[in-house]
Amino acid sequence: MTLELIDVSRRFGDVVALDHVSFSIPEGQMVGFVGPNGAGKTTAMRIVLGVLAADGGSVRWRGARVDGSIRRRFGYIPEERGLYPKMRVLDQLVYLARLHGVPGSDARREAIRTLEFLGVGDRASDRTEALSLGNQQRVQLAAALVHRPEVLVLDEAFSGLDPVGVDVLSGVLRDQAASGVPVVFSSHQLELVERLCESVVLIDRGRIVADGRIADLRGSDPRRLVRVEVAAAGTGWLEALEGVRVVEPLADGGVVELSDGASPDRLLDAARAAGSVRTFAVVQPSLPEIFRRMVASR
Amino acid sequence: MNASTDRGTFRLVARREFVERARDRSFRISTGVTMAFLIGFILLASVTGGTKNYDVGVVGPDAAASVKLAQTAARALGFTITIRPYETAADANAAVRGGVLDAAFANGAIVVKSSGPDQLVAALQVSTQRQEVRKALAAQGLTEQQISDALSRPAPPVRSLEPVEGRQGQAAVVAFVGVLALYGQLFAYGYWVASGVVEEKSSRIIEVLLATIRPSQLLRGKILGIGALGLCQLIGIAITGIAVAVATGVLNFPAGAALAAVYVVIWFLLGFSFYASLFAVAGAVVSRQEDLQATITPLSLVIVASFVVGVQAVANPTSTLASVASMVPFSAPLTMPSRLVLGQASVPEALLSAGLTIAGALALIPVATRAYSRAVLQSGRVKLRDAFRRERVA
Repeated sequence: MTLELIDVSRRFGDVVALDHVSFSIPEGQMVGFVGPNGAGKTTAMRIVLGVLAADGGSVRWRGARVDGSIRRRFGYIPEERGLYPKMRVLDQLVYLARLHGVPGSDARREAIRTLEFLGVGDRASDRTEALSLGNQQRVQLAAALVHRPEVLVLDEAFSGLDPVGVDVLSGVLRDQAASGVPVVFSSHQLELVERLCESVVLIDRGRIVADGRIADLRGSDPRRLVRVEVAAAGTGWLEALEGVRVVEPLADGGVVELSDGASPDRLLDAARAAGSVRTFAVVQPSLPEIFRRMVASR
Repeated sequence: MNASTDRGTFRLVARREFVERARDRSFRISTGVTMAFLIGFILLASVTGGTKNYDVGVVGPDAAASVKLAQTAARALGFTITIRPYETAADANAAVRGGVLDAAFANGAIVVKSSGPDQLVAALQVSTQRQEVRKALAAQGLTEQQISDALSRPAPPVRSLEPVEGRQGQAAVVAFVGVLALYGQLFAYGYWVASGVVEEKSSRIIEVLLATIRPSQLLRGKILGIGALGLCQLIGIAITGIAVAVATGVLNFPAGAALAAVYVVIWFLLGFSFYASLFAVAGAVVSRQEDLQATITPLSLVIVASFVVGVQAVANPTSTLASVASMVPFSAPLTMPSRLVLGQASVPEALLSAGLTIAGALALIPVATRAYSRAVLQSGRVKLRDAFRRERVA
């Protein structure tokens, strides 16, 4: 019972955008879809929604090949967001709900429910272009939710949101996932992905390079990382040490990777010699760390 | 997607286009302006045209009786005479000289300013002669009945070798108005298709839409919705125009004008089906309204050229140019209706022309739909050659 991409490929002229991409999003899970610019995230999402055709491979939902009638039950926020600027908010949502197959008698009720749920119910009879950018983004989210989608696909839906908007969207996505909807969203905000998602799919140059629980990805990282900070000591003492490599410099120390033979004890000794130790902790790599390492290793 | 949801989707799109466009302020303004222009044109025609009236002064009962007879004759000839009684011949003559009267009848003579209006003078002369004949016959002892019988012999009927001038002139005006309406309607609604496509691209809602429906459904729905609105507007304008023209007496063959309106409506449908998908492609290859003018220009040139040929066909419906142009799908919608209104095209010719236009549209629509589907998701300016390339869509 999952959304699956199986062996999906797509080229644009000579450029290979997706190279035999396979991954799956289980029901009720929120999955972050991450990768550098141009890695193929948008192409993959457009193929899931049928906006683009794949050269090869297939997209399946609950085991069935996705066609137009299945896809109408998906919800989507494209990277390039869009609504009819001159259409009234409620009319627009009713129209989109009906395109998604909601019967005429229910569409209006569902549209009002969604707008009120997202706090823009009082703008229902305004033209969309008259709304503030933040409220337009809420209407955009409403457009993806109005038909109670079975699957949610969001391309960079968090970009450009203010902190309140981020909280609203995060809350909505969590609720959706909790109600059993598989949610996949792409984002450059890796800290956000780390906070919201249990699992990620990492894509680079059209290929999936990692796919799974963030905790497992961390565990599979063979590096030993230590975060060490010494009061008012700067970073010079750290750079002089053998057997350690600074991964992430901080004001008075940094996150360092211990080389194979190096012992944490020696690092601690050196830190104490440099001054008063404020932090000394074995840490797990952050998502940005994992991301950088995986992309760099290719 | 099964057939019923497919049809439902396409109807939803069409309804949105119809409703949203009808709500649009520019639609209301353009409808109002067209109606006002048409009604103004008709009212102007009713003031300047209409039936000619002559004021004739009469002195004495004999003169009055003659002019009364002339009134009957005048009605048959298409003008009216108003009788103005005067006390003396001198007064009546002064009124003619002063331009108050068109003519005066006194002492058995017709007085005009210089050389009076021929038809008026003729009517007065004939009536007076009749009056004299009537008196002479009565003096011979004939009864009133016998005299009337003798004088009311039917005049020989007039058989026209060519259509009656006045009516042909009206038909030409109706044909011209029809061509003008078709030109305006095809251009305006074609432009709306194109700008509607650009609106969906520039607002980027196109991607949201294409996640639920196919480009061909979106295109068909858009063309149908906008076309239906154009049709309703055209019918509304035609009914208003004919009603006002009949009410003001400008038009004396309402049945013919109604038939002309039916031709115009049918040819709007044919022309719009032919042109609309091309307008959609013109919209799909650009991403901003500002760039639309450039891609629409070739289409507008074709329509303007067809309009020029159409106007020429009103003046000269039997010319080779008119005959050929009324068979070419590009120009047929703007040429064939006026040939029909002027009675210069046979039913088989009209059917052939309609068939060729439909065939042209049927050949064009799949090609244009493919080009539209290819271009509509691409941003920036898409080369027409790339859009029309025969290759997989999307």
